[in-house]
Amino acid sequence: MVATTPGAPAVRTRSRRRVDEGVITVGRSRAATIAANTTGIVFSILMLFPIYWVLNTAFKPADEVLALTPTFWPKHPTFDNFLSAVKAPLFLQDMLNGLIITLLAVAGSLVVGFLAALAIARFKFYGRRGIILVILAVQLVPFIALLIPLFLMLQSVSLTNSLIGVSITYLVLILPYTVWTLRGFISGIPRELDEAALIDGCSRGQVFWRIILPLTGPGLVATSVFGFIQAWNEFIIINTLNSPEKQNLMAWLLQNQTTRGTAWGPLMAGAIITSIPVVIFFLIIQRNIATGLTAGAVKG
Amino acid sequence: MRHGKYPFIIGFLVVPVALYCTFVVAAYIQSFQLAMTSWSGFGAIKYIGFENFQKLWNDDLFWKSLRHNLFLLILLPIVTIAIALVFAFLLNVGGSQRGGVTRGVRGSKAYRIIFFFPQLLALAIVAVIFGRVFGPDKSGMLNGLFPDSWSPWLFMADERWAMTCILVVLIWQAIGFYVVLFSAGMGSISSDIYEAAALDGASRFTLFFRITIPLLWGTIQVAWVYLGIAAFDAFAIVNIMTVDRGGPNGATSVLSLMIYRNTFEFSQVGYASAIGVVLFFLTLTFAALTLRVTRRESIEA
Repeated sequence: MVATTPGAPAVRTRSRRRVDEGVITVGRSRAATIAANTTGIVFSILMLFPIYWVLNTAFKPADEVLALTPTFWPKHPTFDNFLSAVKAPLFLQDMLNGLIITLLAVAGSLVVGFLAALAIARFKFYGRRGIILVILAVQLVPFIALLIPLFLMLQSVSLTNSLIGVSITYLVLILPYTVWTLRGFISGIPRELDEAALIDGCSRGQVFWRIILPLTGPGLVATSVFGFIQAWNEFIIINTLNSPEKQNLMAWLLQNQTTRGTAWGPLMAGAIITSIPVVIFFLIIQRNIATGLTAGAVKG
Repeated sequence: MRHGKYPFIIGFLVVPVALYCTFVVAAYIQSFQLAMTSWSGFGAIKYIGFENFQKLWNDDLFWKSLRHNLFLLILLPIVTIAIALVFAFLLNVGGSQRGGVTRGVRGSKAYRIIFFFPQLLALAIVAVIFGRVFGPDKSGMLNGLFPDSWSPWLFMADERWAMTCILVVLIWQAIGFYVVLFSAGMGSISSDIYEAAALDGASRFTLFFRITIPLLWGTIQVAWVYLGIAAFDAFAIVNIMTVDRGGPNGATSVLSLMIYRNTFEFSQVGYASAIGVVLFFLTLTFAALTLRVTRRESIEA
């Protein structure tokens, strides 16, 4: 009796280990789990801290923003910074401009991009490889080198300092991504569906309109969101082409950073307002974000 | 079926092709032309042959800027891809394995959103934020965190460290995208492969280096090219964040910034175009080389 008592726990541990071996554990220790979780948390803090600091600054009154010992929480939270950003000259005007330009560019690139993607995904024709290569190469070259010719070109048709000129430029900017991603989505739709519809008496146009377009829905959502983010966030081109009352919020933000210097509170508040549309869009599609990113890129 | 194929193709492609011919191809041709002139942006255009390129060869700032671009070109892809791969691995197969199903660490969905967040912010906003993070006095975020007895770090105002600050910002901004990109790639690797390797006694390190990386190679290649192009550009961050645009003392000048300043500040459009031509060939050479050098036998996943 005395001898068996210490033996009993030993048997139990052994049996438990055997259960563990039943599932595949890859040399996984508790220490490794803790290490993985710690890395994740520390890194998340690094990623989020600047954003937290923006929020912190935006809700602080001016004297706290410039205090020598910054606090981690606004002592007297205030919305003044947001109000003064919204009331600042041209803020609302530039916000509206940004919306118009972005929507025009995204809508345009969806229509043009969808048709181009259809042609590339569904037809074999002479020059198809060439077109694909050009689409990819366009993404490679730095756009900054094209600013001068772009300006001259738009000037010659008096489209500088206009919302249309910028919209077209942004359309060109986001089109490669749109075509490439939609091509991936369309290739994923089985050709048998097209053929079945053709046999049932659809015309080719009807096949595109009634079969492929609805099935590309998720792809259209994903590409339009990425297009929106790109066009909404662009500021170098618009800053070059247009005068202050025809710019978007990004350009406004930079203008105010240089002219107002240390008014960090309103600037950060402006940055938050500017980011809201993009964040909302992101939260809507964040489940499908990987699909949207990789439909074209990974499957090459 | 065959009947009436070309009307569709032509109709579908005429607009994008026309747009590219005018906005990209014609624009580049014009840029190449301007590189051969001494045009200031106003008045008559005078052709001077390759003089701009000669001037470029003897321009110290050009070589300095090129060095800075190369600094980014080497470090930005390596560091970003390394960190992103490790995190994508943690998020996908780093967690416990119950019932033979590989899973990510706890909270992997939340991490994915957190890491992607910086990607949503415009570069303009990122630059403004990091201007505050790297503030060279006590009101700057990092200096504010340090004990009061320390003298404030200069960060962007320090010639030796300014470029490193830029690198940090670019990495911070880029990581989320690549974590998601690699995660998607890893998600498409069949879990059978992991299980088989695990049964054979492979450790997590072995899994990572022997299975994940080879199977993700195509995606890593794409990431490398994208990041390299970002390193050749880097204009937005450098333009907004650096002291005296490209300073102190040219310590953060990059080629794209030289193009912009020569065009809009120094009225040397011809010279700026010449730098643009150089940048164009550098980028294309880089992309072609990367794709060629890193080519491997593809492994079917």
